[in-house]
Amino acid sequence: MSGVKRLWQARLPDHVIALAWSPVNSQLSAAAVSGPVTVFRADGETERELAGHAFGTAALSWHPTDSLLASAGQDGKARLWNGTTCVELQGGAPWIEHAAWSPSGNFLATAGGKKLRLWDKAGKLAREYPDHPATIAALAWRPMKDRDSLATGTYGGVFIWKTDADKPQRKLDYQGSIIAVACSSDGRYLVSGNQDSTLKVWLLKSGDELEMTGYATKIRELAWDATGRYLATGGSEVVIVWDCSGKGPRGTKPAMLVAHEQRLTALTFQRAGKLLASGSEDGRVAVWRLDKPKAPVWTEQLTAGISQLAWSPDDTRLAVGTASGELEVYHVAD
Amino acid sequence: MSAQPFNSVPVTVLTGFLGSGKTTLLNRILTEHHGKRIAVIENEFGEVGIDHELVVNADEEVFEMNNGCICCTVRGDLIRILGNLMKRRDRFDYILVETTGLADPGPVAQTFFVDDEMKAKLRLDGIVTLVDAKHIWQHLDTSKEAQEQVAFADVILLNKTDLVPPTELDKLEARIRQMNAAAKIHRTQNAVVSLDAVLNVGGFNLQRAHEVDPKFMEPEYPFEWAGTYTLPAGDTVLELQPGPDPTMNVALLPDADPEKAMLIFSEDETPVKPGGELRPGARLYQLPAPEKFTVRAPSAGKFTLFTQHHPDEFQLNLGGLTAANGRAFKPDHQHDNAVTSVGITHPGELHSDRLNDWLGKLLREKGTDIYRMKGVLNIKGSPKRFVFQGVHMLFDGKADRPWGSDPRHNALIFIGRNLDRAELNEGFQQCLA
Repeated sequence: MSGVKRLWQARLPDHVIALAWSPVNSQLSAAAVSGPVTVFRADGETERELAGHAFGTAALSWHPTDSLLASAGQDGKARLWNGTTCVELQGGAPWIEHAAWSPSGNFLATAGGKKLRLWDKAGKLAREYPDHPATIAALAWRPMKDRDSLATGTYGGVFIWKTDADKPQRKLDYQGSIIAVACSSDGRYLVSGNQDSTLKVWLLKSGDELEMTGYATKIRELAWDATGRYLATGGSEVVIVWDCSGKGPRGTKPAMLVAHEQRLTALTFQRAGKLLASGSEDGRVAVWRLDKPKAPVWTEQLTAGISQLAWSPDDTRLAVGTASGELEVYHVAD
Repeated sequence: MSAQPFNSVPVTVLTGFLGSGKTTLLNRILTEHHGKRIAVIENEFGEVGIDHELVVNADEEVFEMNNGCICCTVRGDLIRILGNLMKRRDRFDYILVETTGLADPGPVAQTFFVDDEMKAKLRLDGIVTLVDAKHIWQHLDTSKEAQEQVAFADVILLNKTDLVPPTELDKLEARIRQMNAAAKIHRTQNAVVSLDAVLNVGGFNLQRAHEVDPKFMEPEYPFEWAGTYTLPAGDTVLELQPGPDPTMNVALLPDADPEKAMLIFSEDETPVKPGGELRPGARLYQLPAPEKFTVRAPSAGKFTLFTQHHPDEFQLNLGGLTAANGRAFKPDHQHDNAVTSVGITHPGELHSDRLNDWLGKLLREKGTDIYRMKGVLNIKGSPKRFVFQGVHMLFDGKADRPWGSDPRHNALIFIGRNLDRAELNEGFQQCLA
């Protein structure tokens, strides 16, 4: 790797709870857990500050092609920002913890409590799904641009929803509390990270399911690489990477990436490239190449626990947020 | 379970049936000028809205969690809410979690044991249960939730005491004490109680697990009631009406100490004939009923009458006098599936392997019925006290400070349903080295 250098840094008033890069103009939006949202220009200058959500902001999502930023928060609302004007969306629950644009850009999904809602680009309610049986703890669009489909995780299992039907297309049962969901880019796999320190893997075509145990803590960090081959998981201080090629990870030994001293808090692969970034509670950031798993290709020690990591749309920048509100952006040349 | 960090935020759980005064207490805590920052997690069916800078609505989502080898239930919503709260820079000095009236406190307590994030940043300080002194009786007999709320409590507030006569309160306190011998009980009106009594009680603090008071742990007195009478010198008539048994044992003592009365009640009783005579002193009398007797006091003074059954059951009348400091030691009747406390105190040293086996088996087989347990143990070969506590099957224990000059001993208490005192005692005895 030819080098990593810090481009700029900024400070948020509180724990960085969400980071999102705009695919349009490389703006970076960042939210503090207590509410305030800042949009930074590519050079690190503050472009605008947005009113955050009362009781705290929880999620940010940029539209894939338009300059539209969605935010959601503990006030039960989502907001759709176009520049400095916004449309307020009623999430239907006392808190809204998830907001995510579909890959096609046709829908914004919001989830809070047991309510899952879809909105169009104008902020008009497009669909309200029937209540989930329990709080929606995780939400992920399946990475297929041709037909939008999303997965939600709750206590009891994962639901897969189409955007044009109220009934779930599929329910994947699990007798436990699901706290993270991720879909592989090739559509073969859906995985959930669970409160009970297990990883559940579903092969969607065959209906086969695997359960990976032995994790130290609950698994909140899940990341698929661009090809759908590698799945990186948290749940301890070691990055566990499963190779899901061929017949899948059943019976295989995962790669164990060791660089962190405390529990992992963030994991993310480049959107198209091969680099994996990991962050941990002890404030360490590491960047890995999976063909050299023995040591990270780069690490940096920050002064507070890492809370968020995000690669820029062109994969050349890595944004790092911490529990004390530090925000650092690095240029990463492969 | 590892040691909790020093700067962790204490969490107090407030339980109690609808109308017991939870909201009154919450409002009182929030409006008093104590200079503390308190966040409240309120259940979504809050009795009265609370006006405070940080009140979060919770939805009491309980789920089962497989925690390695055991299963338990936790509050998923608390993990979410508290996890988010602990990310904020504006830290709170205390967090109060209010449960709905019908909530089982088990999942709330277990949440703080099984989630690493919660364990790292928060500590469960105590469970405070409010009891409506007037209306709790019906619930204690019939409601599993009311029984559990009493059983789990570190602090019990007998509230609305102004609506109940003192004798009823005594009976209620005795009944509650029999269910939960470890809780601190306060009598309150309008939930007026000092903050120190409900916050920072250290109910789940291992360092304080040894503060199990053995005096509270043996509430099995052989008498159900005691009351102090001021008798004139000479004769006073004692009259009994027909009761549930043909006889009743009594003792009349110059001293109100139940421990001394217990010794007398363990001796053989002296039968008294109808119309016969009783004198104050260390003697256990057996009185047939219905009959009249003569109590002969050598001089005027205060004497305490200890009775085998509650005197109301025999409509006991001693010269038309009213007893002062009437105290019930036992409920009027036994209950099926009863929630009770079993305390064990013993000076002997314990064999650590046998103790492990016993506790492991006990928790596996009886964990669902054991709500709380805590205590201090004297382990053979260890210079340090072993302190422990647990909720259902979740066990937390460690070697504490050295015994030093303190006498080595074991003091432990189990609070639960269908506890078999003899079996627990026997199991413990087999661990003695």
